[in-house]
Amino acid sequence: MRIVWFLIEKEVRQLRRNRTLLALLLVAPLIQLVLLSFAANYEIENLTLTVVDQDHSPAARRLIDKFQYTPYFQLTRVRPSSAAAEQDLLADHADLVLVIPPRFERDLVHGGAARVQLLVNGLDNVKAGLASSYAAGVVQAYQDELRPATVQAAVAVRGGLEVVPAYWYNPRLNYKTFMVPGILVEIISLIVMMVATLNIVREKEIGTIEQLNVTPIRKWQFILGKLLPFWVAGLYQFSIGLLLARFLFHVPMVGSVPLLYGIMSVYLLVPLGLGLLISSVSNTQQQALFVAFFFLIIFVLLCGLFTPTEYMPAWARALDAINPLLYIIDIGRRILLKGSTLRDVLRPVLILLGMAGAVNTLAVWRYRKTSG
Amino acid sequence: MNKLHPPDVAASRAAPAGPVITCELLTKRFGDFVAVNAISFEVAAGEIFGFLGANGAGKTTAMRMLCGLLGPTEGAATVAGFDVFRQPELIKQHIGYMSQKFSLYEDLTVGENIRFYGGVYGLKGAVIREKTTALLQRLGLEAERNTLVGSLPLGWKQKLAFSVALLHEPAVIFLDEPTGGVDPITRRQFWDLIYEAAAAGTTIFITTHYMDEAEYCDRVSIMVDGKIEALASPAGLKRQFGVATMDEVFLHLARGAKNTE
Repeated sequence: MRIVWFLIEKEVRQLRRNRTLLALLLVAPLIQLVLLSFAANYEIENLTLTVVDQDHSPAARRLIDKFQYTPYFQLTRVRPSSAAAEQDLLADHADLVLVIPPRFERDLVHGGAARVQLLVNGLDNVKAGLASSYAAGVVQAYQDELRPATVQAAVAVRGGLEVVPAYWYNPRLNYKTFMVPGILVEIISLIVMMVATLNIVREKEIGTIEQLNVTPIRKWQFILGKLLPFWVAGLYQFSIGLLLARFLFHVPMVGSVPLLYGIMSVYLLVPLGLGLLISSVSNTQQQALFVAFFFLIIFVLLCGLFTPTEYMPAWARALDAINPLLYIIDIGRRILLKGSTLRDVLRPVLILLGMAGAVNTLAVWRYRKTSG
Repeated sequence: MNKLHPPDVAASRAAPAGPVITCELLTKRFGDFVAVNAISFEVAAGEIFGFLGANGAGKTTAMRMLCGLLGPTEGAATVAGFDVFRQPELIKQHIGYMSQKFSLYEDLTVGENIRFYGGVYGLKGAVIREKTTALLQRLGLEAERNTLVGSLPLGWKQKLAFSVALLHEPAVIFLDEPTGGVDPITRRQFWDLIYEAAAAGTTIFITTHYMDEAEYCDRVSIMVDGKIEALASPAGLKRQFGVATMDEVFLHLARGAKNTE
């Protein structure tokens, strides 16, 4: 253990002299957390709206007002015809076009059923989906107001069902509550894996690794000495990140924070061990970096933070079974938002423990003091 | 042959019984290429053994095998009494190594480098402190204790690297072209350090391309195409080939080489 201590001391000293890397380790993740958490928003406001009003009636006016009074839409253009409005879609000046046909009010009053047309710019399908569902909501609200009380009663008698959703663990569907813990873990994983990936191979490039390989240092001592400094850095990032989550983003912390710490300290061994494994089999930093990127991009994009894993095809979900980020993000949400205990998250914790053991054993085994 | 060190030094060395390095038909193949071809020799304790050969002759490969950095293909070899095949990690506890590639950490200070390598070899903190002071005094680098190694001139770095490699008092020290790119004065100072270490009983195993340095060795072997073509004292070699200088001995042997860079 004394030898490991000398290694740690050396790593810390080198780190202290490498100002850029130090800043990257200590400050960058927190800046990223704040930036990304404010930026990663599933709500869209100020969608640009073009209106084609061919009815020019009070009823049409009221519908247009209704759109304007939501924060979601911003009425930017009024066009005389659908053809003109289509030009706005083409030129990307409109996310949504609302067409109110002639005789809109008359149909409403007499037939009780009138039609409006919504043209949605589908270039960005997430935005399009939100735009059309917001618009449908506005039209629905308009309709409810308009409908005479008698009709509403009639609907009620016919047994109309109204669904009132209650979102447990995140009642207001606050996206920050949902995103911040995930983004935090993702950023930390990225950074610790990168520094680990570049570490051993850097000593190979400089040539100091050969001097170490000719000492009696044991392989596990070497890997442990490389692992621990960055493990501490990762836990430090996690601590500051949690404080930010609590006091800046008001993320609820229902469950046990010490439990989350314990699990996080196991989890960190996975990206760190994987980084060291990549580093010990690579010959250049460039090689190591690309291999690390290969894994990181898969981990990040399939971790369920940006796309729910439930939407993925079965094979992708099977592949995801080895994605450590998926497990820790899930565990983090469960503990923080739902108050899950160790018993509840035992399975993913055991999986992470297994992964940590596997990658680090591999890293020790693959690190060669004797070649050929 | 007028050696730099007095002849009685050899007698005063605390030499343990038996050779420190033995090599018997030691071979290394990379695929079809035979880098080291059945070399056999012994090096006695306290000896300064020069390991010569043209680039590509197999010197570094042979040396790396003896240091436990490279697994041999066949043959037998022991270093400091340990088997090269089965006990490479035990060998490492008893040897020092200084490669042609500079191997101290440039982003650590002189003192920090000494402390780190001392620690890795398992020396205690108090011993390290004591040895650091003595080492810096011997090299005249007391003022540079807190200087980053990266900012030292090459000659100082090499002397420091050599002294650090001796910190744990190894039985043998392997030096792979330690004086490459160093000025003649520093080279001369470097050899003073080598003699000092040899006088203290450390066996020196050194590769070099400088023939004047070959003259400083007790015995010299010359490798050509993976084989040891000649092995004797510098005087013996010159006699054997009927020439006046080590340069001529080397050229005579190396001219027939197939594997040169």
